Parts: sequence; structure tokens; C-alpha cells
Amino acid sequence: MTDVILDQVEKRFGSFTAVHCLDLHIKSGEFVALLGPSGCGKTTTLRMLAGLEFPTSGDIRIGERTVNDVPPGKRDIAMVFQSYALYPHMTVEQNIAYPLKKRGVPLAERGAMVSKVAELLQLDELKDRKPKQLSGGQQQRVALGRALVRDPKVFLLDEPLSNLDAKLRAYMRAELIELHARLGRTMVYVTHDQLEAMTMADRIAIMNEGRLQQLGTPDEVYNCPANRFVAGFIGQPSMNIADGTLDETARFRAGSFEIGLDPERFDTRPGPVALGLRPEAISIGAGPIAARVRVVEPTGHENIIILETDGLGALTARTAVQVRPTVGETVQCGIDADALHLFDGADGRRRNRDDSMVTQTPVGERAKVKESQ
Amino acid sequence: MATADLSPLERKYARLGIVLIGPTVLVFCAVIVYPLISAIYLSLFSIYTPTLEGEWVGLSNYAELLAKGEFWSSLWTNIIWTVGTLTLQILFGVGMALILHQNMIFRSLARSLILFPYFVSTVVAVLVWRWLFNDLYGILNHFVMWTGASDMPVDWLGSMPNALLSVILVGAWKYFPFVVIATLARLQTIPDSLYEAAKIDGAGPIARFFDVTLPQLRDVLVVIIMLRAIWDFKEFDLIYLLTGGGPVTSTQTIPLLVYKEAFALNQMGMASAYAVVMMALMLVFMILYIRRTQENEL
Repeated sequence: MTDVILDQVEKRFGSFTAVHCLDLHIKSGEFVALLGPSGCGKTTTLRMLAGLEFPTSGDIRIGERTVNDVPPGKRDIAMVFQSYALYPHMTVEQNIAYPLKKRGVPLAERGAMVSKVAELLQLDELKDRKPKQLSGGQQQRVALGRALVRDPKVFLLDEPLSNLDAKLRAYMRAELIELHARLGRTMVYVTHDQLEAMTMADRIAIMNEGRLQQLGTPDEVYNCPANRFVAGFIGQPSMNIADGTLDETARFRAGSFEIGLDPERFDTRPGPVALGLRPEAISIGAGPIAARVRVVEPTGHENIIILETDGLGALTARTAVQVRPTVGETVQCGIDADALHLFDGADGRRRNRDDSMVTQTPVGERAKVKESQ
Repeated sequence: MATADLSPLERKYARLGIVLIGPTVLVFCAVIVYPLISAIYLSLFSIYTPTLEGEWVGLSNYAELLAKGEFWSSLWTNIIWTVGTLTLQILFGVGMALILHQNMIFRSLARSLILFPYFVSTVVAVLVWRWLFNDLYGILNHFVMWTGASDMPVDWLGSMPNALLSVILVGAWKYFPFVVIATLARLQTIPDSLYEAAKIDGAGPIARFFDVTLPQLRDVLVVIIMLRAIWDFKEFDLIYLLTGGGPVTSTQTIPLLVYKEAFALNQMGMASAYAVVMMALMLVFMILYIRRTQENEL
């Protein structure tokens, strides 16, 4: 069992806190993506797992072992870097064999292990080349090979696909999914690309400003975002979020827009709130909301329509390819009342009553609760 | 590409290129090509320096110099000086660059101060060193006597092998900052991710130096060694001011021999022949350097 556990891990650089009180339990064999915008602390978290940064407080456990003071080379992890970090003066074969050499694996055994990995990653033909003679995709595969060859317990991947072009990235995504299925190893994957996280990960840990916002399956984070940040961050185009107020009769008002919310489904305490609506929950053609069409973006298989409304402001709708209003036209829109998300106006927390889907509340909030106890 | 294939705009740019490069080519011809050809030409004459008059002797200057023991002893001294000072420069320079690359307090100040020997005028540097080496009131002899290493003051510049060692040492002190700057510049461009990957691969600090740092420094070190070898080989002022080639001719390198022939013995033709031979020797380094640069460009 090689569970990876971060227990109340905090990382400070001087007065700046890069990671706040992080609790994360990654199960053995799981593929977890750390997702968030630049500077959210995801790479720092990965580097702490690798042993390239040390936590200011808290514990990191890999398998049964607490590894806080264990150097990177002895953690039984392998890491693939964004820049690949291949040794430029070594051939592909020497690069892949390097971790084995440093661990004193005998030469004959080393050769066999390198050949096996090279075959797996289709690098046989390139074994004698230097990294600068390889394409980005090939370099990427060599970096993966160097990680695979030792058969480590945990793979750490730091935005490994971000230097590849779109087509190669899609190809490598599929390769990595297949590889994970074949090896069954624990993988921690840092990315700022939600598509990568959604398509590859068993679970996604969404971070912002050094705090874990939500840990859940791709379905969970998309359908039941734990807070306003996750709602806005996950989904392309992102969720429409309108600020307004809830009155005593559970009616949401934003300008001239008004809708009644079911207290069975929502926490309808009166006060400032925000209403969230995915672009696919807006239909164009019939409905109570009048909207002016500002932009039409045809993507081939669907249309993205940006609308201007009185109460809800700008709305983004996703429609079938046949629905294609003209710019400037006024259209009637309907919304799917079952697909509404309600967020607290003060702390942004989700106020839908379907919390069984939300597996992680923001840690900062939880820490406050602990303190108050 | 043939000129006929060029579009009018390309031809215009080509003309502009010629106009821009023209002054540089003229200056280059005046200060490099003309003296070079003159030296080769003069080396074929026996010329009395004050009058610059003399007779055609063909290659006999070359035959004479190759038969002279002084040429070979000067060449040997020149090689010892170049290899000695260059080795020390590389060792001190790379070592210091590695130290200055670490995170430490006053790093910027230390990086600036380390350049001091390189920027100070050779005359000033030599004067200071002559004071340090002085056998009556030099600080070096003061320390030697104080520590009890010797009962008598050491004659640093007036006896062998001390004189050659002293010259080599001062040369290393004067020029190692060049190695520091070039090495430090390269060290700063080695990506941290290479060191991090090596750490994860299980490499300790020594393995990281030999497997990451040193291979990354290789190219810059080759260039430094070739450039400094050329510059050290033709060094004149530092050696001349420090020992004048003495005692007798123990520290006399070929540049000093050229000077002696031209202005002490007034044999400009012979001096030119020495200079041409020296240039031919340095050409070996230059060809290596140019080849190396071209390889890197490919």
C-alpha cells in the first residue's frame, strides 16, 4: 500500500505562505491531479512530496513512512519535470539508465531494464541520440522512461504536457492514461489545464491561494462545486455567476431578474448570495428572460453565445449547432431550474443541499472550526 | 545565392551592408593586416632598428633563430609560463565561481571585488607585487621569517625557480577573474531542474558536480582555455615589468625576446622573424578555437 498522505502541511517562504494547512489523502494506485491557477501552491505541494522543498509544518507520509526528513533520492518516487530536465550530454540510453547507475544496479541488469522501458515507450531507435536531437514528444517520452525504469512507488508529474503542441498533448494524455492503468502506481499530476485534469485523473484536488478548495472526482467537481471559486474555475466556458440577494420568501433577486428557490434543495437563509448556471443550462428560443446577443462563437460541433441581460448581466450559453442567432438580435432565454447552483455571498461556499457529493470543504474553513472548538 | 537572383530590395540591403561594414574592414586592414604583412616582409631582411635600413636576407633569419639555443629556451619558458599560469587560473577561477554561485551574504559585493585584479592596470599591479616580494621589507618575507619557514629572506624575483614561480603566480592572480566571470555566467544558466532531477535520481553532491555541473561547464571551459592560452602565450608587460626576463634569461619568454631583439639589439628583421614564428605557433590555438566555435554553431 502506498497511500500518499499530507497531514496539516504548511509551507512558508519568509512571510509568504505558499501552502496553508493542507490535508490530502491520495489512495494507493490513484491518479490525482493538483489543479489550480498559477501561484496556487500546486507545484510547491508536488515539490514537497518530491523532497525538493521541505514543509514548514505538518507531516508527509508515503506508504507507511513519514518522509519529512528523507532526501528525494530515498523516497522511492520519480518525477517528470515540465522542462523534462534531461541530462544534455548523455544519450537517451544513459539518461534512462542514470537513476539505476546511481543506485548501483549492475551493468548487465541495467541494460535489460533500459531496453524494456525503451521498448515500452517506443524509444528503441533513439537510444543513441542526445536530447537536443529529439522532438518535444520524444524528449517527453525519455523523461517518462527515466521515471519508469526504477519502478518507483509514486510518480510525480509537474505539468509534463505543457510544452507540447495540442495534437501531441492529446496523444500523450491517452498514453499516460493507458500507462497508469497498466502500472497501477500512485500518480500525482500537477496541471493548470482543467481538460488534462478532468480527462486523466481519478480525483482532482483544486487549489487556490495555497488552500485546497475541493477534492473530488471530475463529476463531483463539475456538478457539485464546493464553492464559487471551483464553480468558476472548472468548466469551459466557465459557469455564469450572478450576484443577488435572497429574501425571506426564498426568492432570488438580481436587478429585474427574479426566481423562487426550493428550500428543500437550497439553504435559503436570506442575505447576499450568488446564483450559478452552467452555459448548457441556458436554452435560447423560449423562456422568460429577454437577452441581446453580443457574440456568437461557432466551434463546429456547438455554438457559444454571449448574451446581455438586464438582471443577470452577461451570460454565456452553449447551444446546438442549429441554434445560431444573429448578433444584436433580442432573444428569449430559458434556464434549467434543476441545474442551479447557489453560493454564499460572504464566503462563497455552496448552499445547495446535496452535500453528499461535496467531499471536501475548504481546509481554511475547517481549520477555523477546529480552532473554535 | 547569385546576385542575379536577388530582388531589388535585397540588393539594396546588400549595398547597405557593405556601406556599414566598410569602415570596420578599413580599420581592420590598417591596424591588423598591414602590420602583419609588414612583419612578415621585415622578417626577410636584416634591419638596423634606428635607421630601418638593411639588406634582403631571405629566410636566413628563420634558419638562424631555429639554430639558436635562446629561441628554444625562451619557447620552453613560454610553455611553462602558459601552462602554469593557465592551470592556476582555471583552478582558482572555477573554484571561486562555484563559491560565488552559492547563496551567501554579500554575494554581489564579493562578485564585484573579485574582478579587481583583472581591472587594475598591469603596471600598478606589478608595482604592488614587487613591494610584496621585496626581500628587505616585503610582507611575504616578513611572514616567511615570522613563521620560521626560513632564517633568511627569500629572493622571490632574483633567483630560479622562484622568479618563474612568482611570475606564474602573479599572472594567475591577475587573470583568474576572467575565468570566474565566464564560468559564473555559465553556472547561472544551468537549469535548477537538472540538479533536482539528479537529486531524485539519487545523485549526491559530488555526483551532481561531476554529472551535471562539469559537463555543462565543458564548452565554456574549452573556450576559456583556448582564449586564455592565446593571451597568456603572448603576455609581455607583466613579465617584463616583474622580472625583465631575468635572472639572466630564466623568465624570458618569446615576446620578451622579440622586444630585446628589436629595441635592445636593434635587430628589427630578426625580431620580426621571432614574432612571425610566435604567430605561427599561436595559429594552432586559433584554428582549434575557430573550429570549436564553428562546431557549436552547427
